[in-house]
Amino acid sequence: MDGSAPPSAPSSAQVLIIGYGSPIRGDDAIGPLVADRLARDGVPAGVTVLSRHILTAELVADLIERDRVIFLDAAVAGAPGTVRCQRLHPDAHAISTMAHFLDPRELLAWCETLYGRVPETYLVTVTGASFDYDHYRLTPQAEAAIPPMLELIRALMLGTASEQAGCHGGDRPVGQDPAARV
Amino acid sequence: MSRTITIEPVTRIEGHARITLQLGEAGEVEDAKFHLTQFRGFEKFCEGRPYREMPALTARTCGICPVSHVLASNKACDHLLSVSIPPTGEKLRRIINLAQLTQSHALSFFHLSSPDLLLGWDSDPVSRNIFGVMRQDPALAKDGIRLRQIGQTIIETLGGKKIHPTWVVPGGVSEPLVQEKRDAMLKLIPEGLDIAKRTYTFFKTLVPKFKDEAEHFGNQPTMFLSLVSPKGHLEHYDGLIRIKDAQGRIVEDMVPPHEYERLIGEAVEDFSYMKFPYYKPHGYPHGIYRVGPLARLNNVDACGTPYADVALAEFHMLQESGPIASSFHYHYARLVEIIYALEMMDRLLKDPTILDARVRARARSNRSEGIGVSEAPRGILMHHYKIDDEGLINWVNLIIATGHNNLAMNQSIRQVADAYVDGNNLREGMLNRVEAVIRCFDPCLSCASHAFGEMPLAIELRAADGRILDTLRRG
Repeated sequence: MDGSAPPSAPSSAQVLIIGYGSPIRGDDAIGPLVADRLARDGVPAGVTVLSRHILTAELVADLIERDRVIFLDAAVAGAPGTVRCQRLHPDAHAISTMAHFLDPRELLAWCETLYGRVPETYLVTVTGASFDYDHYRLTPQAEAAIPPMLELIRALMLGTASEQAGCHGGDRPVGQDPAARV
Repeated sequence: MSRTITIEPVTRIEGHARITLQLGEAGEVEDAKFHLTQFRGFEKFCEGRPYREMPALTARTCGICPVSHVLASNKACDHLLSVSIPPTGEKLRRIINLAQLTQSHALSFFHLSSPDLLLGWDSDPVSRNIFGVMRQDPALAKDGIRLRQIGQTIIETLGGKKIHPTWVVPGGVSEPLVQEKRDAMLKLIPEGLDIAKRTYTFFKTLVPKFKDEAEHFGNQPTMFLSLVSPKGHLEHYDGLIRIKDAQGRIVEDMVPPHEYERLIGEAVEDFSYMKFPYYKPHGYPHGIYRVGPLARLNNVDACGTPYADVALAEFHMLQESGPIASSFHYHYARLVEIIYALEMMDRLLKDPTILDARVRARARSNRSEGIGVSEAPRGILMHHYKIDDEGLINWVNLIIATGHNNLAMNQSIRQVADAYVDGNNLREGMLNRVEAVIRCFDPCLSCASHAFGEMPLAIELRAADGRILDTLRRG
């Protein structure tokens, strides 16, 4: 834990939200599904929403232009339906062996090494109950986690996430999520 | 006592594989094999599915080149429908294919191979990765990111999403292009072309430093197989099959892709899940050939765009005469093709008919067998389906670009191992060169085997009785 509170973003903060995961692996679709819902419902000016199957290298060019980045993903650790928020930091050791999928911390390390700046970054996850083959359909546990997840994302978007939201974590590892790599 | 060196997995390639080097009594290389270790079985589990699902199903083969599978699959479906797709639909398909080639080649050069090319095969493996490249040449690394972004943005603009787009459909494409999107894509081309040209210029300065690698990295006499246009020009979407021999003589020309079975046989070996395609008239394994950027440039009479044609002429100067034989020059050919792709996209986007609303032919299935062939970034890609009266798939054959190169990759690692590996004094740089020759081909093993999974890297030197004599580890 680094103990520092997330800085409040000015209203002009440029925010990027990236939901990622496989649309055909059950609850792994929650990242892109929630991103799509945010985009459909509308986001404040200065907020951009992307929906991705996987994270790829060229996203670095999008990250460095933003003040704050929020990744949305499914997780395998914990009780199904648990919403978790982590502060992410660059990690050059999180190098993927498959070049078509990058860990978000590796993307941040690219930003740091190449551009000398890293956006304030969070990872919001929901623990999935099933990662079996299913097209854009979530389990009831994951579905029920969407409203609190959206609430948390909106708070992060505006820079008003509370200490209780758990977004102040320092270097807690991001769970290796094999389902997200499909 | 015979010994085996195992390199597993091979790093900085798409997918997972193992290389084994069998050593003889004196530590010399007796045999070399490239093993594809995992299996997914698309050809089997697609049976029973409606043929219209095939583009979406087979696109899942790969996260790097889904567009290639979408195109070959839809071309097979076009054949099942017995339709000729509208010219604008074809041009739009060509653009997305070229954007795919741009981003895929950029990934291969900037991300996967530049650590070796910039930092050296013998450099510290801890920093011989993309972060080492960023520190050594940040401008090059930024160019790589931007070029990939340009390719992916064009794919997303046309296809609706970067990975597994569903815009290409049997009979054409689902939506015509609108002017706003056309203009947005056109704006990206000059910057992409600038990056491609300066990278090509830079790489030309590096090539003389790699004389030894060019001599030993899969520098072998094989045939070359690719599509060419009816004029003999570079062709990635459609065209006809041309095969040249190692001396540059045309042995097959203007063969309709639907006749591929007359030319290509497929063998299997018990040490790999990847098939071994070969040129049928020469038999197995003598019918070895290569596909991909090197083969395409060796086979064509011209690229057909201004700067790429200059680069093609310079490519042919890499060797005194004949087709360029060294697989090391796949890197060079890849950069020439990026230039071509950007020039050709510019031309197609400026075509006066590109905004035409007629982009799709509609029909039901009118044949029981469909074959779709196109050039993926790594080489010629073949989808072949048979359907029943209900339109359900009852037979599938996929011949993937990486598979075509299987014989050549095996022969190449043997050549590199002979040149660099001393079994009595195993060093990491030797084994990295064995891996690097595979990277020249930029194999997509996810496609070739539909591989899935991850392993840590371990390189072991084993005695015949299984004892580990030496170990190198990475990661």
